[in-house]
Amino acid sequence: MIQPFTAEPIQWVSESGVPVRDLPERFTPQLLRDLHALMLRAREFDRKLITLLRQGRTTFYAQSSGMEATQVGLARSIRVGHDWVWPYYRDHTLGLAMGVPMFELISQCLGSNSDPSRGRQMPHHFAAKRQNFVSISSSIASQVPPAAGNAMAQKYLGVDEITVCTFGDGATSEGDWHAGMNMAGAHQAPALFVCENNQWAISTHLRAQTASENIHIKAKAYGMPGFYVDGNDIVAVMEVCAHAAEWVRAGNGPALVECLTYRVGSHSNADADAEKHYRTREEVEEWLGRDPIVRIEKLLEHLGHPISAEERAQMIAQTHREVDEQVIQAEATGQPDWRIIFEDVYADMPGHLRDQEAQLRAEQEAGQEVRA
Amino acid sequence: MTATQQRNPASGGGETRTINLIQAVTEALHEELERDERVVLFGEDVGARGGVFMATAGLQATFGKHRVFDTPLSEASIVGAAVGMAVRGLRPVAEIQFADYMGPGFDQIISQAAKIRYRSGGQFTAPMVIRTPSGGGVKGGHHHSQSPEAYYTHTPGLKVVMPSTPYDAKGLLKAAIRGEDPVIYFEPKRLYRASKGEVPVHDFTVKLGEAAIRREGSDLSLIGYGGVMPDLEKAADALGAEGVSVEVIDLRSLVPWDKDRVLTSVQKTGRAVLVSEAPRIGNFMGEVAYTIQEQAFDYLTAPVGQVAGFDTPYPYVQDKVYLPGPNRIVRACVQALNY
Ligand SMILES: Cc1ncc(C[n+]2csc(CCOP(=O)(O)OP(=O)(O)O)c2C)c(N)n1
Repeated sequence: MIQPFTAEPIQWVSESGVPVRDLPERFTPQLLRDLHALMLRAREFDRKLITLLRQGRTTFYAQSSGMEATQVGLARSIRVGHDWVWPYYRDHTLGLAMGVPMFELISQCLGSNSDPSRGRQMPHHFAAKRQNFVSISSSIASQVPPAAGNAMAQKYLGVDEITVCTFGDGATSEGDWHAGMNMAGAHQAPALFVCENNQWAISTHLRAQTASENIHIKAKAYGMPGFYVDGNDIVAVMEVCAHAAEWVRAGNGPALVECLTYRVGSHSNADADAEKHYRTREEVEEWLGRDPIVRIEKLLEHLGHPISAEERAQMIAQTHREVDEQVIQAEATGQPDWRIIFEDVYADMPGHLRDQEAQLRAEQEAGQEVRA
Repeated sequence: MTATQQRNPASGGGETRTINLIQAVTEALHEELERDERVVLFGEDVGARGGVFMATAGLQATFGKHRVFDTPLSEASIVGAAVGMAVRGLRPVAEIQFADYMGPGFDQIISQAAKIRYRSGGQFTAPMVIRTPSGGGVKGGHHHSQSPEAYYTHTPGLKVVMPSTPYDAKGLLKAAIRGEDPVIYFEPKRLYRASKGEVPVHDFTVKLGEAAIRREGSDLSLIGYGGVMPDLEKAADALGAEGVSVEVIDLRSLVPWDKDRVLTSVQKTGRAVLVSEAPRIGNFMGEVAYTIQEQAFDYLTAPVGQVAGFDTPYPYVQDKVYLPGPNRIVRACVQALNY
């Protein structure tokens, strides 16, 4: 039985890769290999995108290295394309695992013509209609009240869907977070809130963020169960998230899952000097020792289905190739032209925007440089 | 910090050094923390990290965690707590990481900070400063590029400033901290390192509400503030090369703003072009234009020109098209000159 409000994070597989509870039947070696491949793919995607950043081909990137079990585990606990997701900006691994094409992610990061979001947002803020993966907003916790509303609409419409809303630990300090949690609780809306607690909000540690013992106990105040899970243990994440999602789906109201994990890299490229300013190398090393990818590899080995070094190297090389090719393809589509500034602001372009567009068009056609 | 010792006419002949805008902010904060124990400084990541732009770098190490500290990630808490501290006798200087993120603190700014003096009949006041980087030009997309000053200039009880030079950045910030009112202090982030200039070594302030004449001219008044100022200078250079004499004015303060200096200039030149990068509808420059037509109508030889951002969210790609650049400014000036 999976219990809410546990003192310790729920774990299924120990750091050395040995199950500490009976492994549920569905975790066949094939499923475990499949999960491993997804996590490795996301990790290598991170690595390649950071290279892209260093080459100046994109301007922002927020890695999720270290958090793969949380995001892949969550993706595999919901009904993709059926349930709705209000994500936050570190969720590309969640997106990849939900089947958002890598090409779309890359195109968004490059702001190329192939970006379904049309180059409007800064890199790493994508939206994917087919997956009901709603557009990412930079403004921390601003997705939480809308997620509550999305779930209220699902209840109103009587559809067999739930809403998933993700956020970091820092987000739980914002008023919007409390407002959204409260709304969902008061209306018994089918919302699954998932805190990807990677313990740092840029340079602010969880301990400076809240005096609360942890995040999940806050669920109590909003009348919903709070589950605490080892976010680097993909089996535990999937078991707990699936349990919570089923509970929500059954009409019991919302639930909160806190995945305790760690951001191994920097917050973003603007923060490449984390260890110089606010955290210790020892802490990072300690968490590297709990790497979710290494853990599942050890588990597979323990089960007698190890992944060979060649196999692993092949998967890595394939992801690198894939990213390289798709970057070239995305870049080849060019950049959206200046007209995109005026489109999608309203359903119909109002007169004042038509005037502004016409003026800019006239200047372009007259061959005048817009900017010296 | 560079130590070029030079003479600055603006400083009354004292020693000066050349620094950039963000260094000016850091120095102002450092000196005010040193001068007055009531000054406290806080916000997201301002402590050990020194702020995302490093504006508060080293201050926690120097003044301790009780004077310079990180807060939970909540702008409502940051602004609201600043109001409470100010009411209780401190001089809080709060940092909001990006002006785009003032939203969650908006109600605290407009309902509490701005109004407590008025609604209490002056019994309680909130002398405090909210510093925040604003404006575009750094490839930040709409959440890291907006110019929301109009929301705040529209709120009675708040003072609103935006420097464009290190001298003003330092002098205005010190004056804001020493003042008796809540001040929203916008820092044009694209000028943090790009704007360099001489700043006095000795203590000085720049009074809120006074515009600066950047260059004198007789044919046209070109008026702006914040991140667009270097583009105004470039436009004035280009027009100067064609024999047009442009007067360039930097408002520096939006509330209160220097009506007298603007009107005097327009009465001399007969033409005004107003520049800002915020969207045009409800733009603060609308107030300036209205005042000019109301109080200097007889002197105008052309309609007041305006160059602004478009009425669209700030885009990620094509952001250079969005920002008013020197060419768009020149075109507006030519239109006024040929009217
Ligand atoms: C309202 C708001 N305030 C400030 C920021 C600047 N900011 C961006 S990310 C971040 C830290 C977020 O931490 P957390 O929620 O824990 O997520 P993590 O990045 O650790 O995954 C901050 C302060 C923002 N994006 N939005």
